[in-house]
Amino acid sequence: MRDKLEQMQNEALAAIAGVTSEDQLQTLKVRYLGKKGELTSIMKGIGALSAEERPAIGQIVNAVRDRLEDSFTNCLASLKLSSKNTRLQNERIDVTLPGRRTSKGTKHPVTLVIEEICDIFAGLGFLVAEGPEIELDYYNFEALNFPKDHPARDMQDTFFVQDNMLLRTHTSPVQIRTMLQQKPPVRIIAPGTVYRCDYDATHSPMFHQIEGLMVDKGITFGDLKGILTVFTNQMFGNDIGVRLRPSFFPFTEPSAEVDIACVICRGKGCRVCKNSGWLEILGAGMVDPEVFRHVGYDAENVNGFAFGMGIERVAMLKYGINDMRLLFENDVRFLSQF
Amino acid sequence: MKVSYNWLKEFVDFDIAPNELAHMLTMLGLEVDSIENIGDGLDSVIVAKVEERAQHPNADKLSLCRVNNGKEILNIVCGAQNFKSGDKVALAQIGALLPGDFKIKRSKIRGEESFGMLCSEKELGLADESAGIMVLSEDLALGTPVFEALRLKDTIFEIGLTPNRADCLSIIGVAREIAAKLDKKLKYQNPIVEETAVDINSIASVTIKAADLCPRYTARYISGCKIAPSPQWLVNRLQALGQRTINNVVDITNYVLLEYGHPLHAFDFRQLAGGKIIVKRSEEGETFKTLDSQERILNSSDLTIRDGERAVALAGIMGGENSEIAPDTTDILLESAYFNPSTIRLTSKRLGLHTESSHRFERGTDINILTVALDRAASLIAELAGGKVAKGVIDAYPEILPEKSVNVRIRRIYEILGLEMEESTVSTIFKNLEFNVETVEAGVLRVAIPSYRVDIEREIDLVEEVARVYGFENIPMSMPVAQVFSDRVPLRQRMERELRNVLVGEGFNEVINFSFASHADLTKLNLPEGDKRSAAVALLNPLVDEHAVMRTTLLPALLQTTARNFSLRNFNLRLFEMRRVYWFKPGEELPDEPLHLAGVITGLRNPEGWNQTKETADFYDAKGVVEAIAELFKLPELTFVQGGVEPYYHPGKAAAIICNDTLIGTIGEIHPDVQEAFELDRAVCCFELDFTKLVELGKETGVIVTPSRFPDTYRDIAMLAGNETTAASIVECINNCKLDKLRSIEIFDIYSGDKIPAGQKSIAVRVRYGSFDNTLTDEEVNRIHQKVIANLTAKMNVTIR
Repeated sequence: MRDKLEQMQNEALAAIAGVTSEDQLQTLKVRYLGKKGELTSIMKGIGALSAEERPAIGQIVNAVRDRLEDSFTNCLASLKLSSKNTRLQNERIDVTLPGRRTSKGTKHPVTLVIEEICDIFAGLGFLVAEGPEIELDYYNFEALNFPKDHPARDMQDTFFVQDNMLLRTHTSPVQIRTMLQQKPPVRIIAPGTVYRCDYDATHSPMFHQIEGLMVDKGITFGDLKGILTVFTNQMFGNDIGVRLRPSFFPFTEPSAEVDIACVICRGKGCRVCKNSGWLEILGAGMVDPEVFRHVGYDAENVNGFAFGMGIERVAMLKYGINDMRLLFENDVRFLSQF
Repeated sequence: MKVSYNWLKEFVDFDIAPNELAHMLTMLGLEVDSIENIGDGLDSVIVAKVEERAQHPNADKLSLCRVNNGKEILNIVCGAQNFKSGDKVALAQIGALLPGDFKIKRSKIRGEESFGMLCSEKELGLADESAGIMVLSEDLALGTPVFEALRLKDTIFEIGLTPNRADCLSIIGVAREIAAKLDKKLKYQNPIVEETAVDINSIASVTIKAADLCPRYTARYISGCKIAPSPQWLVNRLQALGQRTINNVVDITNYVLLEYGHPLHAFDFRQLAGGKIIVKRSEEGETFKTLDSQERILNSSDLTIRDGERAVALAGIMGGENSEIAPDTTDILLESAYFNPSTIRLTSKRLGLHTESSHRFERGTDINILTVALDRAASLIAELAGGKVAKGVIDAYPEILPEKSVNVRIRRIYEILGLEMEESTVSTIFKNLEFNVETVEAGVLRVAIPSYRVDIEREIDLVEEVARVYGFENIPMSMPVAQVFSDRVPLRQRMERELRNVLVGEGFNEVINFSFASHADLTKLNLPEGDKRSAAVALLNPLVDEHAVMRTTLLPALLQTTARNFSLRNFNLRLFEMRRVYWFKPGEELPDEPLHLAGVITGLRNPEGWNQTKETADFYDAKGVVEAIAELFKLPELTFVQGGVEPYYHPGKAAAIICNDTLIGTIGEIHPDVQEAFELDRAVCCFELDFTKLVELGKETGVIVTPSRFPDTYRDIAMLAGNETTAASIVECINNCKLDKLRSIEIFDIYSGDKIPAGQKSIAVRVRYGSFDNTLTDEEVNRIHQKVIANLTAKMNVTIR
């Protein structure tokens, strides 16, 4: 019986070693270890053995079974591994083919710039304020210290709706509306659409501005410089040069034009900055006492500064766009890049 | 405005280079827009002498010259006729680069070699037109560069002057700024006029009948003038600053205008009836021919200068043709007056007549410079036109303007600028600006404002002067100290941004179109008579017809944008625009400006690609976006009411979008006619929503339901129904069973065609059931589901398959 067992074991091991598929292995397993398998049929002979022999043979049977079980398990594992390896080797895709996209949209660059500027000023505690685009002469000009029949009005070619009603030429009327509604302190940023009666390569009859206003006790021109420096650093980079130079707006005094070092040539001089090294990006100044008078603030008690800039100008500098008309042509090949 | 570097030097001593000067002026608030260097790079154009001028052997119209450049004799071929042997001329030598990138090379002209070119003024950029070459004065040294010899080398600055700085509309004005900044004195002398014995008052008279519009009028009488071309130096000066030359007398008035900033006018005295000047408002409807030969119709608010009989000048704007300086004029009356700025501006604007003169008067001129400017011009006319100046000046100045003075507190300067300044520093700044200063009390200065500084009236104006001259760059930077705010960004603003984010996620590109529209755009939409969108806010002065009104709907522009993209072969589009529209609002001061959102979907549903399906987007793609928007705003359930909601939609593929009984927008496929009108060759689906209503009807946070811990089970129902049966009616019918275990209803298939009877469709619905207490057993589900089936069979005209 021992011989039989040994023979069977050797046979089985040889067979397992020659197996190439899981199916074959399963068949072999049934043949040797199954209920009607060879081991079982050999075991049937145990009854014929003497009581002394039985335990020894039993031990051998168990050892053979364990040995074969192990062998089957190992063989199965290695078959699985090799078939997995084969599968992995065969399942090969071209990873250079483009991925499957869902369509992705974009915000308009003007929107992106407005959101970015609003976020910067939100961080400085400025709230967004809005106002009507069709505006009364009073808010657009009069209360901002543009007297009727004053040449300062020529700075802004105006679309009229009625005699005293117009398309706002700047976002500054939002200053007036805000101050009429609330007492100081005021800290607002007012993005919006504005209109001027002018259309050529560098002027659009509709464009966008963003206006800032801060009014409180003890606000100074130095503070205006500080806030604008923080803003330009965040918007255009920490090392960007900023300069303020005197200018004129009826609603601020002193008034300043604010230049940043040319973002293209970094101040060395190029075509974009007309070799000056500087780019004009915003107008600013201390709120004129006359404006405070119009809104009922006491100019002896509070001071303030205001500033405003053209969004398109900032967008063009930020994204290196050289023709403003691109912004309103809405060619998706342009828009989808933002 | 242009100023000349050389001319400025006549009034102030400075030794800074043109580029530095430009920077300094810019930092003073006189922004230098451009710098032009006259004669730059033209050093190889030199003074030369024509030793011999002979006929070119092979060309009738050319001459062959032997020209002395101071070192050698050169052969030069020349086509001009206006010179002779012995003349001094401008020779462009080989290698010279003339304006317009014209390089002088050695050349052969009709067989004769030429070693340079004799130049005209035009070729040297000195004039717009010239008749022949430049013939130079005898005394110029051979070989010196022409621009140097003629003292034409100069730098011209174009200054973009702000409208408040009327005082800088002159050479002296700009020089004064330079002097103030550099702590120098202005070099300035009152002109000296040699007068004859004849008293002007015996010849001419001035009467002001509108002292409110003309507070002061001065005049001089000059006889025996010889009208002729101006000398070259005068012409050069004028041309360098962009002024045309006319004749010596007119040029002199223009010269003084540029130098002093005060406009003058010269009348031909023989044309002034009675030798009279009367300053008076015009007659209503009076016609008057100005110098430019234009017939102008005046009204009673226009100020005129008249003689004994008629108008002879439009005050401060332009003279009349009837009294202009003519070639045979000998006696002139020279006017130097002050006119009220707003009357000049009104007339100039109304007539569309903007002149150097009106530009200055409407900004405010110096009432105290009148006689100085008059004397300067008179002395030049005497010198250059041989005029004899009569004794005295007529000075009609009924009410002498008081001197202006303004107090400024040193403390106020600190409050505004955040800069501590010594009283003495402030004082020096004012003195350098030629403002007299006295101390009123400690820390308070009284500053006398010169009459040319029309922009200074208040303390703040003086604070600005201090800041400007001290230099903005020298004011220290600081950060404001402010209270913390408690306000939060309003919901409306947050939602506006969120909505854009959702649309971007849905694959939309945002577009921005002009807010303008045309009546034609609205007509193309097929809007019925009386539709409120046709009653748009109109502009009084539109630039073009296409921009005549403010838009009342976003769709026309969006369709045009779509068409433009089609023409660029961008066919797969998802575009949105979120902008205001404009309505008249009865009873309100201003029109209403609700924010609208409109979208367009056309072309393929998915991006093109090797692994993408190629279905065309349709109504339901657009509707899906609207549903996503509704979810964002947490709107109550939307109802889509089918039908011809808008004439511009396909009648069978459009719906009104209703929420809580409020119309919040519309959606549909564009009507074929409208599609054609907008030149769209493909189907387009659109929606337009009122953003304001979305915010009003929406909720900031919805109700969050904790899901059951047990899984849901579903049952599918397939049924046949008539084509008219809507999905919504089936969903409603199931909902009407009011089953608490019902979790959701989903239409998952619609089919008609093969094996389905005509006029019918197959609808497949998946109904989900679930419980919070246990996983529902099959029996429980079947029992509930039977009720659904029963209700459908009973209430709806459907056959369960």
